[in-house]
Amino acid sequence: MAELAQPRHLDVAAELIEDAPCGIAVTDPDGRLQYINATLSNWLALNARPERPRRRLSELLTLPGRMYYETHMAPMMRLQGYVREISCALEVEGGPPLPVMLSGVARRDAGGSFTRFDYTIFDARERRVYEEELRHAQREADELAAIVRSSPNAILRVDAAGRVRRWNAGATRLFGLDAEAALGRQVDKVIPFEDRPDWFTASVAPGCDGPEILFEAVHGCGRAFEVTLAPIGERGLPGEEDWSVILRDVSRRYAAEQHLRVMVDEMKHRVKNTLGVVSGIARQSLGRDEAAQFVSRLQALSQAHDALTATDGTGAELHDLLDFARREAGGAARLHINGPPVRLGARQATSLSMALHELVTNALKYGALSRAEGHVQVDLDIEDDGRLRLLWREHGGPPVVPPTRRGFGTKMIGLVLKAELGAEVSFDFDPSGFCFQVIFMPG
Amino acid sequence: MRATERNNVTVTGASDGTPLVFVHGFGCDQTMWRQVLPAFADRHRLIVYDLTGMGKSDLSAYVPNRYADLGAHAEDLLEILDELQLGEAVLIGHSIGATIALLAANRAPHLVSRLVMVSPTPSFLEDAAQGYAGGFSRADLEGLVGFLDENHLGWSAQMAPTIAGQPAGSEATEELTQSFCRTDPAIARHFGHVTFFADRRADFESAARPSLILHCDDDALVPMPVADWMREKVPGATLRVISATGHCPHMTVPDIVSAETRDYLGSG
Repeated sequence: MAELAQPRHLDVAAELIEDAPCGIAVTDPDGRLQYINATLSNWLALNARPERPRRRLSELLTLPGRMYYETHMAPMMRLQGYVREISCALEVEGGPPLPVMLSGVARRDAGGSFTRFDYTIFDARERRVYEEELRHAQREADELAAIVRSSPNAILRVDAAGRVRRWNAGATRLFGLDAEAALGRQVDKVIPFEDRPDWFTASVAPGCDGPEILFEAVHGCGRAFEVTLAPIGERGLPGEEDWSVILRDVSRRYAAEQHLRVMVDEMKHRVKNTLGVVSGIARQSLGRDEAAQFVSRLQALSQAHDALTATDGTGAELHDLLDFARREAGGAARLHINGPPVRLGARQATSLSMALHELVTNALKYGALSRAEGHVQVDLDIEDDGRLRLLWREHGGPPVVPPTRRGFGTKMIGLVLKAELGAEVSFDFDPSGFCFQVIFMPG
Repeated sequence: MRATERNNVTVTGASDGTPLVFVHGFGCDQTMWRQVLPAFADRHRLIVYDLTGMGKSDLSAYVPNRYADLGAHAEDLLEILDELQLGEAVLIGHSIGATIALLAANRAPHLVSRLVMVSPTPSFLEDAAQGYAGGFSRADLEGLVGFLDENHLGWSAQMAPTIAGQPAGSEATEELTQSFCRTDPAIARHFGHVTFFADRRADFESAARPSLILHCDDDALVPMPVADWMREKVPGATLRVISATGHCPHMTVPDIVSAETRDYLGSG
C-alpha cells in the first residue's frame, strides 16, 4: 500500500477501527473507558439509553463478567500484560446478553508504566452454543468416568478377541494388577477362573449371545466373582464389538451361602436323628401296640420331613406325600391317585402327611384296605378360586359304621387340618365307603 | 508433605525482622503481592504462599470436602506459621485471603500480633433482614459460579506460553505466562463458590486481634456500606478508605497500600 497517499491511509485505518468486524475498547489502567468503536457501541445499543453512561469496561459486562474482571482480568492485565479469549457476555440495553470472547493487551510507556489497556471483543454466539454442548458432553463423560474410576467393582472393556482394552482402578484393587500390566492381554488369562479356562470366549461365542451374560465363578485366588458381560455395541458390526465386563467380588456372600448349606444339612441330620431317638424311647416306654402306632406316626412325620428337605424346606410336592401314603397302604393297586401336581407349603406338607398317615392307618384297620379287594381313590382338583380339593373315597370295604368315639386319628385330622391349613374338612360315613374331603389354598 | 511445600511458601526479606505473612485472594496466587513486597524487604521477614489448590501449591491436596469451609485454609496458614516457627507474625490478606487471615488469628491469637486486611468483606451476600448490604444477591453469585464454568475451556489458552501482540517477551513475562493465575478449572469453580457464598460476619465481629482495613472508594465488589459495617462491628479495626478503582489496590496502587501498612505497623 506504499503508493497510497498518507491521508488516505489514515482514513482507511480510522474506518477499519470504527467499523471493524469486532468490538474495540480502550481503557486507562484502572479500567475506565476511553474509547469504544461503533461496532461495540451498536452491539451494546448504547444509543438506546444515553442517560446511562458506562464508565468502565466492567460495566459493559453482565454481573459475573464484572466480578471476573475484578478478580481475574484486572490482575492478569497488570501481571502478565494480556488476557485472552475470556468468555463473557455484554449487557445490551433492552436486549438479551450478547455472548462474546474478550482479549486484551496492556500498553506501557518507555518507563514501563501502564498507559492504556486495549481490548478486542468478538461475537461468540455460535461458538457459545457449540461450547455449551461440548461442556455438557464432557461433564457427562467425566461423571461416567468418575463412576467407573471409583467403583469397587472391576470394570473392563474387552475387545471381541478377548483382549483387555480398559482396566479400572477397581480391577487393580481386586486383582493386584495395574492397568499397564493388564492392557492388551487375554482377559481369561489375566483373570483365570477355576473350571472355566476360556470363560470369555466361551461366553461370547455365537449362540450364547444375549443382551447380557451373567455367571458366578471362583477365581484362581479362591475368591468368588459375579461376572456380567454385555456387548458395548457402539461400532454396530456384529462379531467385532467390544464388551463391557464387570466383576463383583461376592466371596462373602458365597462363603455365607456355603456356611448356610452346611448348617441346613446338619439340621436335617439332627432332626432325623432326634426322631429316631424318640422312636427308641417310645418303644422302651410304651406298650407294644401303642409304641407301634406312635412310631408309625413319627415315621409319617419323618417322611414329610424328607419331602421338605428335597426343596430346602421351602415346601413339598403333594404327590411325594401321597407316594409315602401309597407305600403304607400297600402299593398302587390299593391307593389310586388322580390329579395335577400341587406344591404345598412347609406346614401344609407336615400336617397333611400326618393326616394321610391317619387315613391310611384307619383304612388298613377298619376300612377298605382291611379287605383284600378294597381300595382307596384319591382325587385332586384345583377349584376356580385356586383352592385344592382332595377327596379320599374308600371302596370295597366292610359296611361303614359311624364311630361312637372319635379316636386320636380323626380328631387329629379334623383339628390340625382346620387350624394349620385353614381348611374345610368333612367326613362322610357312607355305608358303602368312607369319604373324606379337605379343601384349602395350597402354597 | 510439609505445609511449606504444599503451599509453595517463599521466604524473603530481613531474616531477623518482624514476619509479615501475605495471603492472596480468589483468582490468582502469591505473585499478586510482588509490587508490595519491596517496601518491606529491609525491615521484615516476608512470607508469601499459594493457597492450597491455587498457583503452584500441591493441587492434589485440594480435597473439595475439606476446603468447602474456609477454616481449612486458615488451618493451612497456621500450619505454615507453626513450621516456620515465626513466633508472632503480622498477617496481611487480600479479599477472601483477609478472611482466611482473620480466621487463623481468631483460632491462634498467640501466633498473630495484628492483621492488615486489603479489600476485605465478611460476606458478599445481601442480607436485607439484618440490614447488611453485601452487594450481591444469591442469583448474582450463582451466575458467577456458572461463569467460572464457562471459562473452563479458555483456561489452557490462558496458559499458552507465547501470545501474539505481547510486548517483546522478557524472561519474566515468560515465567508469568506459565504460572500466573494457574488454577485447575474444577478447583476455581469450587473455591469461587466457597469464596462468594462465605458469610463470616460472626467471625469478623469476634476478631481476636486488631486490624487495619484498607477499602477502595471505587471497589466494584465491596460497596461502601460493607466498609462502614466493618468499622462499626469489627473489634480493634482501623478503617482507611483509599482513593482507588477496583478490588486489587495492592496491584493498582501498591505504593499507597505499602505506605498505609507501614504507617499502621509503625504506629505500635
